[in-house]
Amino acid sequence: MSTRSITGVALVALVALAIGFVLADQVRTQLLTPSNQVARYQALVRNVQDLETTNADDRRQIADLRSQIESLESEAARRSATTQSLRNQVTDLRAHAGLVAVHGPGVEVVLRNGLPGPGPTGQAGYLVNFQDVQDVVNLLFAQGAEAIAINGRRVTPLTSFSGTEGQILVDQGPPLTSPVKIDAIGDRNRMTAALADQSALPDIRAREVQFGLHLTFDGIADVSLPAYDSSLQVTHVSPA
Amino acid sequence: MRGRAVSVWLIALVVALVGTIQVRSQAEVERSLVGVDPTSLAFLIDDLHRANDSLDAEKAALARQRSTLQSGQAGAADQVLADEAERLRAIDGYVPVQGPGVVMVIEATGLTALDLQDAVNNLTAAGAEAIDVNDHRIVMGVPITQQGGGVAIDGNTVVSPWTISAVGDPNRLARIADLMAQQLRADRRVRAVSYRVVTDLLITSVLTEKPFVYAVPS
Repeated sequence: MSTRSITGVALVALVALAIGFVLADQVRTQLLTPSNQVARYQALVRNVQDLETTNADDRRQIADLRSQIESLESEAARRSATTQSLRNQVTDLRAHAGLVAVHGPGVEVVLRNGLPGPGPTGQAGYLVNFQDVQDVVNLLFAQGAEAIAINGRRVTPLTSFSGTEGQILVDQGPPLTSPVKIDAIGDRNRMTAALADQSALPDIRAREVQFGLHLTFDGIADVSLPAYDSSLQVTHVSPA
Repeated sequence: MRGRAVSVWLIALVVALVGTIQVRSQAEVERSLVGVDPTSLAFLIDDLHRANDSLDAEKAALARQRSTLQSGQAGAADQVLADEAERLRAIDGYVPVQGPGVVMVIEATGLTALDLQDAVNNLTAAGAEAIDVNDHRIVMGVPITQQGGGVAIDGNTVVSPWTISAVGDPNRLARIADLMAQQLRADRRVRAVSYRVVTDLLITSVLTEKPFVYAVPS
């Protein structure tokens, strides 16, 4: 074997060795970590999906139980005038608490994500967030809305909004994401005028310009809102 | 010569393999993380657990109501309806209420309706079951608006200091009140903020029932 051949083989061996190290390092530090990240992430996603399924089942059961209770109350009310009077009071109170499906004239507001922009604010500013929904709901109530639903979820006297970037939590329902549809029953001329007012909803207006966030609305002759289907338990408050 | 060529091909193959796996692994991570980061997912899981616990409690309470109604005992339906009316009047804000909770006092200049809306929302999200601000009862639907230079609750101006009383789980309310106080202390418009936990808080303000004009039961 010539000196040139030996040098050539040594060079190939050296390169193979280096590649071997790179490969080992790659497997140890780069390939395993992302795999674990993906597995953990997928486990979290599965957990969320399972909880959302349970949540939907629970809300279906609650709606079913409320329907059965109403039938039993109605049956009892047919037998007694006192019971009928009490039932009328409760029906009215339930309507104001969002526990009765209602319909009437109103508006439909839709909020949609815009496009990501540069900089830290651009990473989330284009997403519809819970404060946007809260602001629109407050604006509609300030304009006399009598009943509101968000993506078919009825707002109650105890409704609250929370969430993280692009995820909107309303009471005990699963998170909502764009597009978010807010239906309200009330004076539609008053509500549409308020929504068209460029000085209202300043944060949304600014992000419409900056990130192309969408706010659209229409007056509707007859909007139907479902009854609230989640928990309205109060365990700490009692009449004084 | 032929052996060397095979070695070079093998090395090239390994390099290509490493490169491909690396790029695909990164792409997989990035694709799966689009939208929600793991921390946000963890918060969502926590929120959903709490939500599902509340839904379980509601199911149990409704099942008890149904059983009582099904019992057919004399006066059972009247009792269920009377209890329900009492509970709903408290939720709708039509009667004075009491219970444990927190009282927050905020002295500030220039706070807006949005600040008060956020404060009320934070307390409600922390389980507040009844809220009063400067003797005005607040539930979702009571307008909190900007009027002139001040904040109005259902058309009535409320001036600083704002005294916010919230009845609910005192531990959860105290935690959120503490976080709110920390944030408010960093706000230059706020002169002073304090909160205290109260074992039996009384809220006497009430709302007047307004009949629906537009909404009709389906």
